[in-house]
Amino acid sequence: MATQPGTGEKPKMKLAIRTEHLTKIYSQRLIAVNDMNLEVPQGSVFGLLGPNGAGKTTMLRLLLGLQRPTAGRAEVFGKSCGPNAVGVRSQIGYLPTNPRLPGNLRPIEYLDLLGKLSRLPRQVRKPRISALLRAVGLLGATDQRIQTFSTGMCTRLGLAASLVGDPPLLLWDEPTAGLDPTARRFTLDLIRELGKTKTVVVATHILSDIDQICDHLGVMHEGRMIFTGSMQDMKKRLRRDGFSLELEGDADNIRLLANEVNNLEGIDAHPGAGQALLVRIANERGRSRALAEVLKLIDASNLSLQAVHSGQNATENAYLQLLQEEEAHGFHR
Amino acid sequence: MDSTDKTSKLGTRMMPYLAILQHDMRALWASRLVRLWLAATAVLTLMLALANWSQFQNAPLIASLLFPYLVFPWFFVVVVLGVGPVSGSRAEALADGILSRPVSRCGYLIAAWFARVVLVWSVYLVVVVPVIALVTLAKRPVPEDTVTVYGIATALFVGGLVLTFLVSLGFLMGTLLRKPLLAVVVLIFVWYPISLILSVFSLEEFSPISLCQALPTQLRQPWREVEGSVKVNTNKLDMNAFSSLSNFFSVLSPTKPQPKAAKPDFFESKKFANFSLLRVTLGYGLPTLIAVVLATLSFYWRDL
Repeated sequence: MATQPGTGEKPKMKLAIRTEHLTKIYSQRLIAVNDMNLEVPQGSVFGLLGPNGAGKTTMLRLLLGLQRPTAGRAEVFGKSCGPNAVGVRSQIGYLPTNPRLPGNLRPIEYLDLLGKLSRLPRQVRKPRISALLRAVGLLGATDQRIQTFSTGMCTRLGLAASLVGDPPLLLWDEPTAGLDPTARRFTLDLIRELGKTKTVVVATHILSDIDQICDHLGVMHEGRMIFTGSMQDMKKRLRRDGFSLELEGDADNIRLLANEVNNLEGIDAHPGAGQALLVRIANERGRSRALAEVLKLIDASNLSLQAVHSGQNATENAYLQLLQEEEAHGFHR
Repeated sequence: MDSTDKTSKLGTRMMPYLAILQHDMRALWASRLVRLWLAATAVLTLMLALANWSQFQNAPLIASLLFPYLVFPWFFVVVVLGVGPVSGSRAEALADGILSRPVSRCGYLIAAWFARVVLVWSVYLVVVVPVIALVTLAKRPVPEDTVTVYGIATALFVGGLVLTFLVSLGFLMGTLLRKPLLAVVVLIFVWYPISLILSVFSLEEFSPISLCQALPTQLRQPWREVEGSVKVNTNKLDMNAFSSLSNFFSVLSPTKPQPKAAKPDFFESKKFANFSLLRVTLGYGLPTLIAVVLATLSFYWRDL
């Protein structure tokens, strides 16, 4: 988690990843990672969130030693990262975005090669390969060459490949990219399951994935880590709690209702898209009481309530809010 | 710690690199380039042997079989094979697939280089050795020649040494320039006039054409020379044989029949009678080593 200034003493925790002023500048032109201080606790499922080009992949590649930092340092389980840091890479299982696999090999041959790269003896390697192929649902495709695989199958094989060495840390870069809903569901379940025994870092720009699986979160924007903390911390950053009420009735009646709600203390309402009423409750007001008052007004009106949504998406709102703040105050930072 | 433990530890340590070597060799054998090269080199070697069957003695005939490897056209294929492993789009796939695993960059590079060297040597020996055996064992309508086993082994070694150097040069250029096509073009421009470049530095001895011309002499060298009986049998037939071979390839090759030099050149002064295996080994071995070290350093400092 980020070293937050002015927060006083931090509880001591074992760290899987630690970076200090990590910076990567390409060809003296492009700042991909900018003075990043990051701490990822062991055993957490850490979501690395950010828009495209935020520096997430570069960050992962720096940890793997595939790229050299321009300044600063990175450590994985207390060991320095670098091109020849074999000890560090033996602790990491990496899944790149849309993994490029050797098309001429079959899945077993490929995983066997990776097992050898991880120095696994045959008696460990062989059973593990068959267990992994079963786990990712590729047992039926073992006689096919990888070049005949679909995107989803390649990703599943990539997942298995990252687990061959049974590493304690998994770095997965957009693991759900290009997957159909079933495969996506499977991948998210797998991450949840693996998170019980390993540290998992998932880089993605898909907020709903983060929402479902992560307990810690880091938000990157233009190479900077603009937020790190727990998911609860992230959601608390929302300025106000809000509801979206889905109504059925005349648009004029919805406008009238909005006016009535605005007369209530600490509640702000305005008509939304379609037949929705967006309600925001000030921090000092209790949410349940405020909602009860709004529901009473709906009951008294000519409108009928179809559904209540607790905000559009708390994480999404918080994320967008963070990005807006960063853009507004970027210079001061 | 007993020796079994040490062996198993070493085996475990080397396991990734042996796996890379095995994987690379397999991929190379499966490639169209290597298969075509194998077929083409077999056809050309047989053609050369049959065309000169009743014309050349053993030594010049064997030297003529090595000519395509030392001079033209196989340097092109060997360079292309050397350029491949860490350049172009392959480098990215490599980073994702292999270098993100517990493998050191230097270890990977050495394994990939070694795979290419082994492959090139294999193709070269698989084709050339049986034909040499055929040439030396068959009764041909030419005067008898005293080619020795030592001479054949050293001639093959020299050929392999040049090929190893070319693989390493390709390897270095591929690593430095990153773009395979550019690396191949640069190497062609470097290797094409190599004899001319070497002659500027009075190093004609190491030019591939010079080596080819010196091979008949080397092929007749015994393992141990009896003092006073050393008679380097360099006759005009060898020179004529080489000259006709050069003419045979002159359509495709940069090498032209030896022009008349103003000063006595390397061959007119018969320096090649003093062909030194040690000098040639160092002359090609050291640059090979330097190329591999430079490629490794360049690859180590590079972002993937």
